[in-house]
Amino acid sequence: MATGADVRDILELAGAENDTGPISKKDIINSDKKKSKKSTETLTFKRPEGMHREVYALLYSDKKDAPPLLPSDTTQGYRTVKAKLGCKRVRPWKWMPFTNPARKDGAIFHHWRRAAEEGKDYPFARFNKTVQVPVYSEQEYQQHLHDDGWTKAETDHLFDLCKRFDLRFVVIHDRYDHQQYRKRSVEDLKERYYNICGKLAKVRAATGSEPKVYIFDAGHEKRRKEQLERLFNRTPEQVAEEEYLVQELRKIETRKKEREKKAQDLQKLITAADTTTEMRRAERKATKKKLPQKRETEKPAVPETAGIKFPDFKSAGVTLRSQRMKLPSSVGQKKIKAIEQILTEQGVDLNPMPTEEIVQMFNELRSDLVLVYELKQAHANCEYEQQMLQHRYEALLKASGASVPQSEATGLEGQAWPGVEEIKTEAKEQIIDVVGAPLTPNSRKRRESASSSSSIKKVKKP
Amino acid sequence: MSGGVYGGDEVGALVFDIGSYTVRAGYAGEDCPKADFPTVIGVTLDREDGSAPMETDGEKPKQSGTAYYIDTNQLRVPREQMEVMSPLKNGMSTSLMFEHYNIPAFFLCKTAVLSSFANGRSTGLVLDSGATHTTAIPVHDGYVLQQCIVKSPLAGDFMSMQCRELFQDLSVEIVPPYIIASKDPVREGSPASWKKKEKLPQVTRSWHNYMCNTVIQDFQASVLQVSDSPYDEQVAAQMPTVHYELPNGYNCDFGAERLKIPEGLFDPSNAKGLSGNTMLGVGHVVTTSVGMCDIDIRPGLYGSVIVTGGNTLIQGFTDRLNRELSQKTPPSMRLKLIANNTTVERRFSAWIGGSILASLGTFQQMWISKQEYEEGGKQCVDRKCP
Repeated sequence: MATGADVRDILELAGAENDTGPISKKDIINSDKKKSKKSTETLTFKRPEGMHREVYALLYSDKKDAPPLLPSDTTQGYRTVKAKLGCKRVRPWKWMPFTNPARKDGAIFHHWRRAAEEGKDYPFARFNKTVQVPVYSEQEYQQHLHDDGWTKAETDHLFDLCKRFDLRFVVIHDRYDHQQYRKRSVEDLKERYYNICGKLAKVRAATGSEPKVYIFDAGHEKRRKEQLERLFNRTPEQVAEEEYLVQELRKIETRKKEREKKAQDLQKLITAADTTTEMRRAERKATKKKLPQKRETEKPAVPETAGIKFPDFKSAGVTLRSQRMKLPSSVGQKKIKAIEQILTEQGVDLNPMPTEEIVQMFNELRSDLVLVYELKQAHANCEYEQQMLQHRYEALLKASGASVPQSEATGLEGQAWPGVEEIKTEAKEQIIDVVGAPLTPNSRKRRESASSSSSIKKVKKP
Repeated sequence: MSGGVYGGDEVGALVFDIGSYTVRAGYAGEDCPKADFPTVIGVTLDREDGSAPMETDGEKPKQSGTAYYIDTNQLRVPREQMEVMSPLKNGMSTSLMFEHYNIPAFFLCKTAVLSSFANGRSTGLVLDSGATHTTAIPVHDGYVLQQCIVKSPLAGDFMSMQCRELFQDLSVEIVPPYIIASKDPVREGSPASWKKKEKLPQVTRSWHNYMCNTVIQDFQASVLQVSDSPYDEQVAAQMPTVHYELPNGYNCDFGAERLKIPEGLFDPSNAKGLSGNTMLGVGHVVTTSVGMCDIDIRPGLYGSVIVTGGNTLIQGFTDRLNRELSQKTPPSMRLKLIANNTTVERRFSAWIGGSILASLGTFQQMWISKQEYEEGGKQCVDRKCP
């Protein structure tokens, strides 16, 4: 550690200490202690209490260096907390008698307390809180609180228990005298109690003010508890069954959504196909006749999912027309392949000369090709599904003819085929709606790629 | 102990917990009882022994020639004609307390409530498996629901009986230590060789039985174990064996038997000596008791099942109980088993609860003082004590 003296030495500053000469006898023996003490005391800065020596040494390593102008407050952190024993004088304890104001009999107990606290109140008496249970007189009972199901004795017993147990109705119900009085449920007790409270509140309230009354709905409570009981007593099989049914429901819902989506897609395709053809025809006819102009306006929104939308980029400056001929990147590989295939089969050049007319026509052609491709696919899908259902139906028919089928089930939603009614009722407990099930994603794709060429080939044969 | 700090106030109260196997007694405010001795008295007739018996717990000696001995007072020394019996089964009676002993104040509390207080809860299901019976007692808000208590006699004494039968089957004689003068080490499983003490006094049958019982109880405590799953012969055969030596030198390894015997606690259909299947296993006891309670408090009860009692200290008891309960409760129910691990806390949890209760500042108003008793009679005890 470089001390200030070393630094000064290195930098050859003036003001080097005069005692850096060889160690003399005086230093070692230190015979005149008093003088040396005085000289050193003025320069040491006392390290704060609690701060360790090394920490202090890090901060103020050299006696010559001044500490910071505003020393930080070390009273908070660096103080080692010691037990403060014997700070005050000893307070003697005394075994003294006391009465508890919460007691009614004034019994005297003894306990240890500080002598100084003699005569003060018992501090725990304030914890003596009780619930306010209304008390009614004979007259009030006869006038207002009379009830056919409850005798006075029973009502008194109930209120006595309420007072004893601070309105803990579960305990009250447990300690209720069921032999002497009738068997009451917790709801009965509560109902009677709250009824009486309400009536008393109304009767005793000053005229004009409407007191707030707590209405207890015993019927609701009973039903709630019954339901809880049933829930509690479910066997694990029932729980499992419920889980299973919930899962099945979810499956059905997802399949339904899928089907709807497919149907929608199909619809879009079909309308797209219709409109494009319509529009084409309309265009051509429009050049000859001007009637079908109306048709165009009737079908304003051409669905853009059908076919390919070629981006219409409006660029400033010079561009190449062949840019417009480029296929957008959103078109899938298979579609591109299908387009190429057809074009080559028909003997059309894959990349024709991009004149204005050719570009437009070419784009339209490709768009139509994609549309055709999609339509063919959808068609093949529907055919396949129909085949599947047909086979299944036949199989079920055979099976139901022989014996009760348990394995296969078809829930043919929306199709009321003859003879399926019995199967339908059986199938309620089993897996419903497996229309989409056999078509796993992989198999579907494989089928599509396999049939893409075949479907396109079908186009050739008119 | 300064009063206001944690709500404690020391009045100098005594706490007594009289069980069927042991009596626990001590000062309130302490964490374990000062005196813990078996609940048996030795009575000798027509003898003046001159020994100074201790004045504890009502066993005050009569000077009329009948001397009483309790365990802290040389019960285990063989004497002639000393009969062994259990003191009053119905515990302390109020009149005895006030009139005979002239105590200033008195309070009775149910052990289940105290056990739950000792575990820091005011609501819970206390499963107490002691010597004579296993009970499940629901406690709600500091009050016992008396109509939902379920009792089963399958407990520590039942285990002892089964162990006794096991030894009979193995044709091993139980010899209490007081008879044995010396013994020789023998090989495992071979009959013991020991020498009887000479000049033994003529002891009564009851005392001899009592001493044999202590031997069996020692065996029961150290060897028996409850298996994790319902008893299975193959699994039991693979469990490690425990070596045990009787006081007379007979030593043996116990394997499957140590699992089979406590199985009777949980599944009484297997146990020998039980007529019919009317007994409930421990798991059934708990679920029946909770089933009898109001549905609203059931989650609270299942959320703190407090296990107390000396019999529950058998190895593996709590794990098995946990498993059984989690099988029987619906899956949505949160089940929590509270079982203190230390021996002291489980055996003495009722006493500890009493110690806590009696040292609370807010409890001091609940005592039944002599004055109240004189005014109200015994009924005031029924009213004031929960």
